[in-house]
Amino acid sequence: MESNPILVVGGGPAGLEAARGAGELGYPVLVVEKTPVLGGSPILAPYAALTPDMEDAETAMKRVIDAVEADPLVELRTGTTVTAAEGELPELSVTLAGPDGEEVVKVGAVILCTGFQHFDPGRETQMYGYYEYDDVITLVDIERMLKDERVVRPSTGEPPKRLCFVQCVGSRDRQIGNEWCSKVCCGIACKEAIEIKELLPSCQVFVFYIDMRMYGFWEDQIYWKAQEEHKVQFIRGIVTEITKRGDEVVIKGEDTTMGRPVEVAMDVVVLSVGMEPSDGSREMAEIFGLPLESHGFIETIDGPLNTVSTSKPGFYAAGAAVGPADLEDSISMAGAAVMKAAGFLRKQLVGA
Amino acid sequence: MESIYADIQYQDVPVEKKQRLFDEVKADMRWETQLYGCYECGICVAACPSARFYDFSPRVFAQIMAREDVHAFYELLNDSVWDCSQCFSCTRCPRQNNPGGIITIMREVAVNNGLQSAKDALKAYSRIIYKIMSTGTQVAPDMLQPDFFPDWGPDVQQVSDNLDVWRRMVPPETMHTTELAWDVSEKTRLELYMIWKLTGNLEMIEQIDEGIFMILEEVMEELLEEHGYDIDDLDSVMDD
Repeated sequence: MESNPILVVGGGPAGLEAARGAGELGYPVLVVEKTPVLGGSPILAPYAALTPDMEDAETAMKRVIDAVEADPLVELRTGTTVTAAEGELPELSVTLAGPDGEEVVKVGAVILCTGFQHFDPGRETQMYGYYEYDDVITLVDIERMLKDERVVRPSTGEPPKRLCFVQCVGSRDRQIGNEWCSKVCCGIACKEAIEIKELLPSCQVFVFYIDMRMYGFWEDQIYWKAQEEHKVQFIRGIVTEITKRGDEVVIKGEDTTMGRPVEVAMDVVVLSVGMEPSDGSREMAEIFGLPLESHGFIETIDGPLNTVSTSKPGFYAAGAAVGPADLEDSISMAGAAVMKAAGFLRKQLVGA
Repeated sequence: MESIYADIQYQDVPVEKKQRLFDEVKADMRWETQLYGCYECGICVAACPSARFYDFSPRVFAQIMAREDVHAFYELLNDSVWDCSQCFSCTRCPRQNNPGGIITIMREVAVNNGLQSAKDALKAYSRIIYKIMSTGTQVAPDMLQPDFFPDWGPDVQQVSDNLDVWRRMVPPETMHTTELAWDVSEKTRLELYMIWKLTGNLEMIEQIDEGIFMILEEVMEELLEEHGYDIDDLDSVMDD
């Protein structure tokens, strides 16, 4: 007795883990990824080293990709999108548009792993002059430099002497409309700060923050490590504005615990941009008729004890598609989602 | 490098001087265990008695030293460093920092470098410094003069009128003293003087109060000479 495959939308960490899990449970699975590559944000952004253990992202993701590629139960379609869905699970007809044209396939259950997109600092206002000043960059931009092991001030090509991170850019901000914490940016900033200090020990690195959200082992593994071993300076207070003074980028803010005004030139300012619902999440929610929760991510309905079930039976979501998530969250949710999808299919096959 | 603070003081003092003093603090052998990293949580401030009465914050010491901001460090070294009562209530820090210990080292650096703030802060203590260094005792019974302690009521007058009688009522004979807290033997004083000299304490006093230093040196020299020691050549004692 064989079911229709589980459709996994998205070939990032959550999607690949869901596919691996489905294969391990003995269920056929079809992974649809709209970009030509597997691996998701760690590969596409790219994130050179993973938080918190700093393993090379390509190496880490390759293990998962190799596993799914070797599994005959897993079918991988890159460069492919879902454009329509008709009927009911477990006989849902899904239209796929790929390099070889359109195709309709029947699927038995759906797991949405459509991830997130980074907040664009120029989305609504020219916040912090991201598009105006070469030396104002984002977490993702500096990650690219770290991948090449060459951190420079973009305007001069010289190594920076003073660099700062500005946390919560596009997160926790009612003005912008993103009231959530993006969960991972504190950890990523710490990780990147450590990597910068390892490359440029004499560069002063500051992190301007509202709260450092370093839950669990991230606390001592990356936050204390950055502070104690690498002398990264954490300053409670968010930069108000960034202006240009001659060739210099000047940040202005308050050191709130000291109650003192801060005004100083930085060679490089790194904006810790947060997570937003991806276009893919919105499109899939529309196609499959799934509601979004109030922040715009795919809604799960069962509270903290079930992080993956959506409002429609047989439809699950995992990873940053349902809200800001780190890798551990995404992988764990993928496992939970595939277990529920398998349970759903088994019920259909053997009868409840 | 300039401070990040827009309102930083002592801008006329060369950064090299600030850096040298900062490096001196960090070169102290105790430094490694004084400061890890600061959450700025304020647990030390809430525990600090000085913080209740002065514009003083042990947290700021941990913060600024962790920041490695030599300009803000220099501000502290010239002011706030003297407001700590060295009770070490601040050591309940969750990161195991020791703000009081940071201050101990900073004070020593301020004194060793003869900073004006050290001179000013210790001026009021010259009598106590003299007393401790010359006798090994600090508060003597005859310091309890009625004029200085009106809030203690009439008992002070009565006690001070017959101080030697009251003191003789104290059982240990070594406490039948009025000018000293207790009797200090010549051998003890001799040892004390050697310690002050050999540990560099006497030199510290020279940096901040030359008058007291000269009187002390004379007192010490006399006793040391009586016992056949040369105050300028005490290193030989260590070889014995």
